[in-house]
Amino acid sequence: MSATGAGGGGFRANLQRRLQDLLRKAPLDADGIARIAAAQIYIMPTPTGLLYAIAAFTMLMGSLNYQNNLGLMFTFFLVAVGLVAMHHCWFNLLGLAVQVRPGPAVFAGTPAQFEVTLHNTRAAARFDLRLAGGIDPGTPVCLNARDQQMVLLGLPTRRRGLLALPAVELETRHPMHLFRAWSYAQSGAQTLVYPRPAATAPAPVQDQGQARRPAQRGGEGRDDYLGPREYRYGDSPRHLDWKALARERGLIVKQFGGEEGLDVWIDWAQLSTPDPELRISLLTRQLLDTARSQVRFGLRLPGRELPLDRGQIHLQQCLAALALFNPGGDGIGNHGQA
Amino acid sequence: MAKPDLIDAPSRRDQTLAITLTVAAAYLPLGRFMAWEVSAFLALVLVLRFAAARWPAATPGRWTLLILTLVGGLNCLVANQSLVGKVGGTALLVTMLALKLLELRTRRDHRVVAIVLGLLITVQFLFDRGLGLTLYLGAVAVMTVALLVDLNGGLGAAPWRRTAAVTARLTLQAAPLTVVLFLLFPRLDAPLWNLGLERDTGTIGMTDHLEPGSVGELVINGELAFRARFATPAPKRQQLYWRGLVLWEVDDRRWSQGADLPPGKADRLAQMADLIDYEVVLEPSRQRWLFTLDLPAQAPDEYPADTRLGAGFALTATAPISSAKRYHARSALSYQTKAPSEAERRYALQVPRNVTARMRSLVAGWSRDGATDWDLVQAGLNFFNHEEFHYTLLPPRLGANPWDEFLFETRSGFCEHYAGSFAILMRLAGVPARVVLGYLGGEPNRIGGYHMVWQSDAHAWVEVAIAGRGWVRVDPTSAVASFRVDNQGASRLLGAGAPLRFQIDAAGPLGRAIRQLRYLADSVDAAWQGWVLDFSSEEQKRLVDGLGLREYGELALAGIMMTSVALVMGLILLALMRQAQPQDPVTRSYSLLCRRLARVGLTRASGEGPADFARRVGAARPDLAVAVGQIVGLYVRCHFTAHHTTADGERLALRVRAFRPRAARHPPGPRDQRG
Repeated sequence: MSATGAGGGGFRANLQRRLQDLLRKAPLDADGIARIAAAQIYIMPTPTGLLYAIAAFTMLMGSLNYQNNLGLMFTFFLVAVGLVAMHHCWFNLLGLAVQVRPGPAVFAGTPAQFEVTLHNTRAAARFDLRLAGGIDPGTPVCLNARDQQMVLLGLPTRRRGLLALPAVELETRHPMHLFRAWSYAQSGAQTLVYPRPAATAPAPVQDQGQARRPAQRGGEGRDDYLGPREYRYGDSPRHLDWKALARERGLIVKQFGGEEGLDVWIDWAQLSTPDPELRISLLTRQLLDTARSQVRFGLRLPGRELPLDRGQIHLQQCLAALALFNPGGDGIGNHGQA
Repeated sequence: MAKPDLIDAPSRRDQTLAITLTVAAAYLPLGRFMAWEVSAFLALVLVLRFAAARWPAATPGRWTLLILTLVGGLNCLVANQSLVGKVGGTALLVTMLALKLLELRTRRDHRVVAIVLGLLITVQFLFDRGLGLTLYLGAVAVMTVALLVDLNGGLGAAPWRRTAAVTARLTLQAAPLTVVLFLLFPRLDAPLWNLGLERDTGTIGMTDHLEPGSVGELVINGELAFRARFATPAPKRQQLYWRGLVLWEVDDRRWSQGADLPPGKADRLAQMADLIDYEVVLEPSRQRWLFTLDLPAQAPDEYPADTRLGAGFALTATAPISSAKRYHARSALSYQTKAPSEAERRYALQVPRNVTARMRSLVAGWSRDGATDWDLVQAGLNFFNHEEFHYTLLPPRLGANPWDEFLFETRSGFCEHYAGSFAILMRLAGVPARVVLGYLGGEPNRIGGYHMVWQSDAHAWVEVAIAGRGWVRVDPTSAVASFRVDNQGASRLLGAGAPLRFQIDAAGPLGRAIRQLRYLADSVDAAWQGWVLDFSSEEQKRLVDGLGLREYGELALAGIMMTSVALVMGLILLALMRQAQPQDPVTRSYSLLCRRLARVGLTRASGEGPADFARRVGAARPDLAVAVGQIVGLYVRCHFTAHHTTADGERLALRVRAFRPRAARHPPGPRDQRG
């Protein structure tokens, strides 16, 4: 697939990227739409097409040898249909407008979604269009005259960072599955991949050493305890109601209220794990855990600090900072160069 | 690259049923050429297939399939004693294709069957080449294309209607390409290899000998022998003696060709008149002889290249005629041959050993009063005319000595009886005689402008050597009194297709109408034969010569073919492009506006929206502000809101067309130049 970024060092990946660059791609116009032109369409016979060709060749040889004109005529009919089908296949992609928009940011390990809009500006329908390289092949798209449709392209993510989709591969086998025409449409789309949160992480640093972190008060809770709720992905196991689990009531998390005014720093320097990626993953876990409570939190990374705040937008900013953090160098780094 | 298995949706049941029915339809015309065992096996497989479609649990498993494959192969072997050759190979192909029907799981399996179906269609033309069959199989081929289109899918809503539309477009566009390829693809003059496909077929039409009953059999076979087209007005029916082969030797039962004589001195014409030019299209007979009117009058080097004129003016081809053969010939209706040599005379006087005493005494009675040879011939003819001889297609069976039994006991027979025994009588009388096999007459087809000669026109007559006149044709059959001709038997055996010599009238206007229809059908058939079936490298050579490219030969043909294919393909693409307008009219109007504004120096920046652009234009050229503002307002309404009418679009188009900005009088910048 043509998605790069989110890591991808190594010679092979490099070579692959170089080869990708050699391919002709439909360029983006000023409006961020790629229109597939004639020179950007590749076409090759499918295995079915090869079988068809072999059958036609057999018929041709037989009919020529026995000077059977009707056999020749039918052979030529099949050959002509094949030739016309080849042009239809090519024509099915010609002039198709493709626009790619990134979906929301995802955590590494979950598929990233791109919204690919296919726009048919023609007065005739286009059939059997597919996006190649996605996680699931999906159903073919048929575009009526002057119709447009949005298709989701899911890409696997493994590493944090910017996941750029430099091009999408569109293919068609219309009309007889004898040829596969494909084309790469450039896209400027990139999406952010958050680090994969670690399963568990040590508690983050409390502000000024005040022992106000609910978990450290042993869950006595007094008036701060708000009640149980079901476990959600990302909850810290320290909030689990172990007694409830022992009574086989499932995973229950104790919720604490009254945490306003508590300040938590998620601090790179407070973790001692040598592997930077692992440390980032732990920090992500801390961020998620902390953000679930109502405390104010901030993020300290070498060379960058996000001040104390609360709320979803702040969390996303912190996650983005973690996603783009370059531990080896000077602060924020962009892995995925489109 | 994506794997085809991944992207292929599972096949639908109606696809399976459709392809099964198409296979059955493709086999239908082939059934009459296949052994019944093969058809029975196919029927069994079809039953299994339908059962499996109805109850999926009944789908045969791997072992059942293996056993069925073995049974099918053995079945072919038992039915044809062979798995190769025309019939054997086709039976195997049919069997294997049928078995594949039981293994239709993925769409890929369906596609394989659809493609092999193409082979099955082509193979059928080794058996039959009729126009009707071709049209039928053409429909099957189009159906195959439709199946492949449907199997590819991705057609959105109403897939059947769209399959039909896509298939129609594909096939209609392929049609001109097919014609170009058919006309221009270089042909082979001779086969590159021979798999013995013709081995297992018998000959058609005339045999190389004559015995009582042989022509009669042929007459009952009502097929066409050849068509003849006369360049000049056609001769009278009784002059149409189509000469085939000449029989010299006779034994106890049959007349045969005998030794292969070189053309002797009698095989040249001493005198000729009433020359007539014609063209014959001979149906494939797998025999060598060609038919010419009595008597061919060309110089030896004027005959077609692959033919030879043998002794007795018998024209033969150098190879058996396996496809329709077209040749030109010229004949003299009035002629006189040179006198036969002494060796020929002797050869033409041999008599069989079973000549009986009453045959000898009959002939002795004629020659008693010292008559000439011609008097003897007349006496023989009178004998057939005055005695109780009957002309019938249903003669009684003859025993050990057919010549004697016919002449003195049964006295009813067909032309082979008369010609065979008359020639023997002449030889007994000392007149050299030989038998000629051929056709008499021909049915004029006014619609097609040619004569149809049927196998039922097969005829045998006699030639006798008369001093001073050379070989002279004598037709003893015509000597039979007309009231002794058995029309009823002929009518019963041949119906309305009976040759004219039986004088069976087509019954009333209906019969005549049917006859006309038959002529029309035959004309279509003849055109089919001439334009399609007989199309060969000769016609292609003529085309290349006509273009003055003779020295380039096949290369020129290939070049013309490539050019024509590219041309046709280009036309098809052009049609596709025209049909798919790249822009809708609203966008087209807007880009026209942008072009006109750019001409006066106001170029839309990339990514600049219409409203921003209009504002900028208004600022730069206040004189255009109102017009541009209106147009852009219309454009925005048409393009970006859901509730606009086509009237808006038309108004937009009108306004844009009328909008012709002039360059500003005081150019704002150096870019403002009219181009």
